[in-house]
Order: sequence, then structure tokens, then C-alpha cells
Amino acid sequence: MSLPEINSGISIADLTEYYPESVGWLSERGIRCIRCGEPIWGTLSEAALEKGFSDNQIDALVNELKERINSST
Amino acid sequence: MTIKHFSIAETLVRLGIGEENMGLSNGLGWNETTGRQVSVYSPADGKLIGSLRQATAADYEHTVALANEAFKKWRMVPAPRRGEVVRQIGQALRDSKEDLGRLVSYEMGKIYQEGLGEVQEMIDIADFAVGQSRQLYGFTMHSERERHRMYEQYHPLGIVGVVTSFNFPVAVWAWNAMLALIAGDVVIWKPSSKVMISAVAVHNIIREVLVRNDVPEGVLNLVIAASSEIGDNFFSDKRIPLVSFTGSTHVGRKVSRLVGERLGRSLLELGGNNAIIVTPSANLEMAVRATVFGAAGTAGQRCTTTRRVVLHENVYDQFVDKLIGAYKQLRVGHPLDVATHIGPLISKASVSDFKFAVNKVQQEGGRILYGGDVLSGEGFESGCYVVPCIAEAQPHFSIVQEETFAPIVYLMKYSTLEEAVAIQNGVPQGLSSAIFTTNLVESEQFLSHEGSDCGIANVNIGTSGAEIGGAFGGEKDTGGGRESGSDAWKIYMRRQTNTINFSSELPLAQGIKFDV
Repeated sequence: MSLPEINSGISIADLTEYYPESVGWLSERGIRCIRCGEPIWGTLSEAALEKGFSDNQIDALVNELKERINSST
Repeated sequence: MTIKHFSIAETLVRLGIGEENMGLSNGLGWNETTGRQVSVYSPADGKLIGSLRQATAADYEHTVALANEAFKKWRMVPAPRRGEVVRQIGQALRDSKEDLGRLVSYEMGKIYQEGLGEVQEMIDIADFAVGQSRQLYGFTMHSERERHRMYEQYHPLGIVGVVTSFNFPVAVWAWNAMLALIAGDVVIWKPSSKVMISAVAVHNIIREVLVRNDVPEGVLNLVIAASSEIGDNFFSDKRIPLVSFTGSTHVGRKVSRLVGERLGRSLLELGGNNAIIVTPSANLEMAVRATVFGAAGTAGQRCTTTRRVVLHENVYDQFVDKLIGAYKQLRVGHPLDVATHIGPLISKASVSDFKFAVNKVQQEGGRILYGGDVLSGEGFESGCYVVPCIAEAQPHFSIVQEETFAPIVYLMKYSTLEEAVAIQNGVPQGLSSAIFTTNLVESEQFLSHEGSDCGIANVNIGTSGAEIGGAFGGEKDTGGGRESGSDAWKIYMRRQTNTINFSSELPLAQGIKFDV
């Protein structure tokens, strides 16, 4: 089974399912993906926008997250 | 250590669960779907429970059309006869209690006793609803005009959308569906994507009852789908007069906005951040037991989980010693093992969220007094098991203000009861609260207008484990909804005030003259 690609459009449901280690990393940056034990609805981009991230900051966030995931696998 | 193995293969067979299952039912059987095929794994051991073909947005449209037609028939069935169908559903659940409880336990991770308790809640609300089916009362009023009669009555509402959370895979549906059924409504159920197989089992259990009683297709519907298929379109749908949503405040805000924009009704059961106040006169043994059950039970994954304990400075040290002693006795393990107290968290993502909270409280200046570790090794291969955590914290910490859906409890000190109540109320959420005291004045203060601001306020009982007979729900960020007992049935009905003139005059209200 191939894992979904991490980009700004990945759903939080897929992100938390396939890359659970991203939850803590994003929480440290103000984005809590898990609420009441379940992933919040929407995409990574939407969750970041809600927390005041700009488009450029979202791109940087996604790149940093990808690097972190790649380095841990 | 001897590792026990738990198989639920026979349970699945008895519940009609196959290797591949459909995610779409209109009550009388399973419908073919073309949505995404997903696999469901147990957090207990990481093993595959079954796979499921999810429904699509097109399936949803078909279901709404079917439900609309079914409503026209179901609303004309007398309420006590609708209650009789609910009585039979309750009986079918009794017959399957052990199997369904076992599946709930295995799929969600709560211990078997809690799985049984959850099914018992379904049975209890069915019993409650049967009685309620003969008590859909409205008031009569005395009219200010001669020979006029006024009264109010309750009519069926229509389609009730029910979105349920993972932590109560089957009971939350029952709290809503049993009342909706006796009210003459029809139901479209969208369960959590974490516990889909339990929902399939419920529909297998109730199908025979619906068929036996000639209940129309479309009265009880199950639509299992991703939120990208059935999400915003569901909440924005004007054909759904009531949406009952149980889940996070984050998603609840969105539900409230989408339903509110079309002036529909929403019943929201959202997050909690529940506290126990322990006063100097409290029975500490009781307070400790209530805290252990409330904070660590269901691995801290109840809406009513005890997340904060506000302790009087004179009993703080004594309470902490007793609490740590009790936590050391807790056994973390497979939820189907009768010796287990604490099962796994629902997912590795939840474990990650737990770890974040444990780190965060320390970063903010708190101290871990017990637990907080993630378990690994034999028996814990799923990666979802943690040691319940006790942390010393301050009320203003950002992590204390938030709900972390995991077994981490924050301890805080207070000097005066006013201060304790201020701490208790000083969070965004307002679901459940409790005080342990043998002082009558303190308990009355806690329950008074200047006391707890929560929907549930208990004395010498913990925050979790509500009975079915009371209305369940909370204030502020908890959403304001009330479901299950008391008069919660009214939200499932359309209220109508009627005035009948049996005179030959046409007097206007408030004495207004309007002669033509």
C-alpha cells in the first residue's frame, strides 16, 4: 500500500492515520490535529490557515514536515 | 509474563460481520456502494477486524430521498406503536449484549466491562423511550378570550442526522435514534470512521426487528463515509431539520455554523474539561476512587473524563499519595482481558497527542507525578498503550485549558471555595463537574447560581458515568445540547401552539379593535 503524499492538500484524517508522529510536531506549532481523539476535519492547509499561517508559511511548514517524516523513516 | 490471545472471530460471525462489509444500509438490508474500500484495525492488537466499502455523496442523496418518503409513513404510525418497535430493538440488543459489547471493546479499546456497559446504555435508553412514547405531552393554557381553547402539541420533525464519535461507538446513536423513533422521525447515522464495524453490527441486530414490524425502508439509515463525501453537504442540507453531532468543539463550531446558516437545529455534544473539587471535609477514599475511575477509565477518552482535580491545600498531599498508590494498582492491557483496567488509546495519533500534553505541561512549569510513558513490547505491539499520567499544574497553563483526550489528569491547589469554583469554571468548556464534601453549605454553594457553570454538577459522585434518565450535555464550548433523558425528547419534535375559537365572535388578542 502506498502512503499518501504529504502536501498542503492532504486531509488531516490521512495525515494522522499514516503519519501519526506528525501530530505532536504540528501541535508544537499551534496546530492540534486530534480533538476528542479524532482528527479534525479538513486539510492541512485549512488547519494552518485557521491558525493564522500565510501561504508562504504553509509551504514552509509542509516542507519541514516532509523532511522530518523522511528523516524518521 | 504470559501473553493471552483474544479472538473475536466467533463474535464477528454471530454479529454478521464478514471480511468485506458495506457502508450503506436503509434499515432492511445492505446496499451496494462504490466508495473507498477501507480496512479497520483494532487498537488492542493492531489486527484487521474487517474491511468496509464506504458510501459516496450519491449514496447520501439516495438515502435522503428514501428517508423523506419513509418519514411520511412513519410519522403516521401512532407513537405507542412506534414505541413497541423500540421495545423490540431493546430486546434484540439484550440478546446480543455480550457479542456487541465484545466488539465495541475490541474495535474501540475500552475494556470489556465498559463495552457491556455501553450496550446496557442502549438498552436503557430504549426502555426510557418506550415509556416516553406514551408521554409526548404538551401543555394546555387558558385563553384570554372567551370560548377559546389553547394548547400545544408536538409533531414529528423529519430526518434527524446523527454524527457519532469513536468513544461511544453505539450508545450515542441509541441515545438519539431511540428518541427520534418514538417521536416519529427518521434517522441518518454517520458513525466515526474509527469504529465503523460496530455500527454495521448494530444495523445487523436491528434489521430483523424492522422487517418483522414492516417498518418502511429508510426509517433507520446508516451511511458510513469520509467527511469529504458526507460532511459539509450533510450539515448544509435543508432537508435535515435536526443534526445531532457528538465530537470535538473544533468540528462542532463548523457544524453549528453550517446548520445555523440555514436556520436548522443542531444538538451539540462537544468537548469537556471536567473538574472535581475536593474539600477539607471530603471523604478522601471516595474522592480518590472517583478520580481514578473518572480520569483513567476508558483510558481518559470520555467526554466526561475527569481532567482536573482542584484540591484544598490541607488535603493536597494526602490525596496525592493515595491517588498515586491507586494508579500503581491499575493494569494496562488488552481490553478483552478481564484483569485489565485500562485499554489502549484509539490510535497512534492519539498517543502522539498524549505525549504532546505530557511534554507541554512540563514546559509550562508543571511536574509529572506519575506515568506519562508509552508502553512497548509484548502485548503492546499496536503502539496505542500508555501509562495514565498524574501531573501537578496551574489553572492558567494553556494545556490545562484544553481537552486532551487521553489519561492525563492535572492536580491544582486552592484555599477558598470561591477560588476552587473559579478554577473549576475558568475553562472554555462546561460539561461535567463534581465536588466532594460533607459540608452542606459547600455543596449548596457549588450547586447554586454562583457555583458550577456546567451542564452536569455532582456532589460526592465523580464527573463521568451519567445515568440515562437525566438530560446529558453541557454549556459554553460543550455546545449547549441536551440528549437522552428528562425532556430531551422535545428537540426531536416540532412544537405547535393551537388556538380554537368555539364562539361566534372574532375577538382579537390584547383587546385590539379592528372593525371593518
